[in-house]
Amino acid sequence: MYRIRFHGRGGQGMKTASRILGTAFFIEAFEVQDAPIYGAERRGAPVFAYVRAGREAINERGAITNPDLVVVADDTLVPVPAAGVLRGVTENTVLIINSVEEPETWRERLNLTGPVVTMPGVKVGDAQEVRFTGVVSAAAAAAVTGVISKTSFEAAIREEIAPLGEAVVDENLKRGVEAFDLTVKNGVSIKEGSTVSAAAYKRPEWIELGFESAAISAPAIHSAATSERMKTGLWRTVRPVIDYDRCNRCWWLCSTFCPDGAISVNKEGFPEIDYEHCKGCMICMAQCPPHAISAEAEHGRKEGGDEA
Amino acid sequence: MKTSETRFKGMRDLPSAHLLGTGTAMCAGCGGLEVLHEIYDILGKKTVFVNAAGCMTLLSIYPFTPFRGSWIYTAMASAPAGAQGVRDALDTLKRKERMKPADDLKVVCLTGDGSAYGMGLSSTSAAIDRGLDFLYICYDNEGYGNTGQQFSAATPHGARTSTSMGPRGFPGSKKDLFSIWAANSPAYAATVAGAEPLDLARKIEKADTAKGPRLILALSPCPVGWGYDPKDSVEIGKLAVKTGIWPLKEYIDGKVVHTKIPKKRLPVEEYLKRQGRFAHLFEPVRKDDILKEIQAGVDAYWEGVEG
Ligand SMILES: Cc1ncc(C[n+]2csc(CCOP(=O)(O)OP(=O)(O)O)c2C)c(N)n1
Ligand code: SF4
Ligand SMILES: [Mg+2]
Repeated sequence: MYRIRFHGRGGQGMKTASRILGTAFFIEAFEVQDAPIYGAERRGAPVFAYVRAGREAINERGAITNPDLVVVADDTLVPVPAAGVLRGVTENTVLIINSVEEPETWRERLNLTGPVVTMPGVKVGDAQEVRFTGVVSAAAAAAVTGVISKTSFEAAIREEIAPLGEAVVDENLKRGVEAFDLTVKNGVSIKEGSTVSAAAYKRPEWIELGFESAAISAPAIHSAATSERMKTGLWRTVRPVIDYDRCNRCWWLCSTFCPDGAISVNKEGFPEIDYEHCKGCMICMAQCPPHAISAEAEHGRKEGGDEA
Repeated sequence: MKTSETRFKGMRDLPSAHLLGTGTAMCAGCGGLEVLHEIYDILGKKTVFVNAAGCMTLLSIYPFTPFRGSWIYTAMASAPAGAQGVRDALDTLKRKERMKPADDLKVVCLTGDGSAYGMGLSSTSAAIDRGLDFLYICYDNEGYGNTGQQFSAATPHGARTSTSMGPRGFPGSKKDLFSIWAANSPAYAATVAGAEPLDLARKIEKADTAKGPRLILALSPCPVGWGYDPKDSVEIGKLAVKTGIWPLKEYIDGKVVHTKIPKKRLPVEEYLKRQGRFAHLFEPVRKDDILKEIQAGVDAYWEGVEG
């Protein structure tokens, strides 16, 4: 059985990638599971999707913890613990990563012993490219399986993208096939993982909570604004940076327009951005009259939550 | 309102500190969240939000909440019924002197357009009939956003949604919820946009002091459902006002008053062409008939206003 996991951010097409790949396997007469996993978070938050494909009935369920292939559509997710990109990766796991950095750099940085390749055919950090991330991720995955023909892959794209209209299907076909061919040239392939028997099943590390009386198990929550513990700064792929020499101190614009209330006003009347929570929508940049706010790629920064 | 009567005389009077907690699950650039944080800054923390299913349900997920007061979740059709229960409970506590009048809370319904214009309209109507003292905030993103932007009764004519994917988009037209409320003599009703925060602040101030059923209908540009870059949320909201598509008005003392009449309305195209949900009106072939229909609808509306 093949076990494949796609990691990206909400809006980067990981669900589409898993569907295209799943359908391609299905056309090749595999039994298939494909499913996206996300919490309540939306566009920008870390999400993943997975595909299982086997020649026989698949009895496994749920998220994949022993992947044969991990596809990372956004390399800023690697250092984010919540994203779980490296979960269950072994020397047998192939890692395909969308990055400007060399595969060797990633192998060393992450101390990996298995093969690492960069995702072919998408320009990293180009906003226009985001809409192709899904199809390119699916293409790279399909190509390294070695069991999906280009014809089946194309048919899968047609089937999954059809609702978006002919023009979108055509663009996706072009980009998908391009990425498929480039990946095949790379010569990397994955091996099918073995089936795990029920006897070998390891229970997740749940914390058992005993049954308590209502007064203990359902305490009144009186704390205000606990959502602040969620560091949505990790969603960001670009960060707004204020040039205080240019800032007119018209804080009532940026501070009011920021949907997340992540721009506060200091004593001198200058706006200050809370990078732990700013999601990088860039409304502040678009609305700033003297253009004092610019966009800086998060790329290459270690983690989203730190100060500028 | 004369400017002398409002504490929001100019943009500088807008709140510079924000009450709504950061870290919510709403999308980057969500116009609904923008409007909610602007409103909450003015309403203050002595509020109970009664929330019907929709994107905003994801604000308060145990144990996390962006609010500084209470929040209760109801089924999609029943937020005003939930508000009635909360209002009654608070009144009972006061009557029995188990709560000081000073500790009273404002009851606020918070729902999307799917509830406000459609599923929940019946319970809204009943709450208005009973003269319930509550504020109803509808963040209008013109579709069922949370479930993938299917069309709702608030979807505008010609818009593409996941259930109107044809070459001509949504065949119906947007229901006039403001007029339904206004026709039933509410204590106050107003349309607002997050992109017009001063107009919004003055209206929330008025809604806050009135007693009885009150409506705040808030245009809420949705980058995901409408198809545009999140950074353009405010620009899209401004264009909705400048093209006359989203009239800013209020119902007060038995009259409808427009609070911001665009001097020279921009062509509706300026608004439509910025959004993916209207892209099929421009390519592969321009659909002049639909564009004219939309423009004619807006022109007819403003003719009625300007006389
Ligand atoms: C009776 C009922 N039908 C369907 C649903 C599923 N549902 C959950 S949220 C939602 C969309 C609500 O749309 P809207 O009120 O406009 O809020 P938005 O999602 O746009 O924020 C739907 C249909 C539900 N919760 N209850
Ligand atoms: S889908 Fe639209 S309305 Fe819902 S949270 Fe996202 S941007 Fe806001
Ligand atoms: Mg809606």
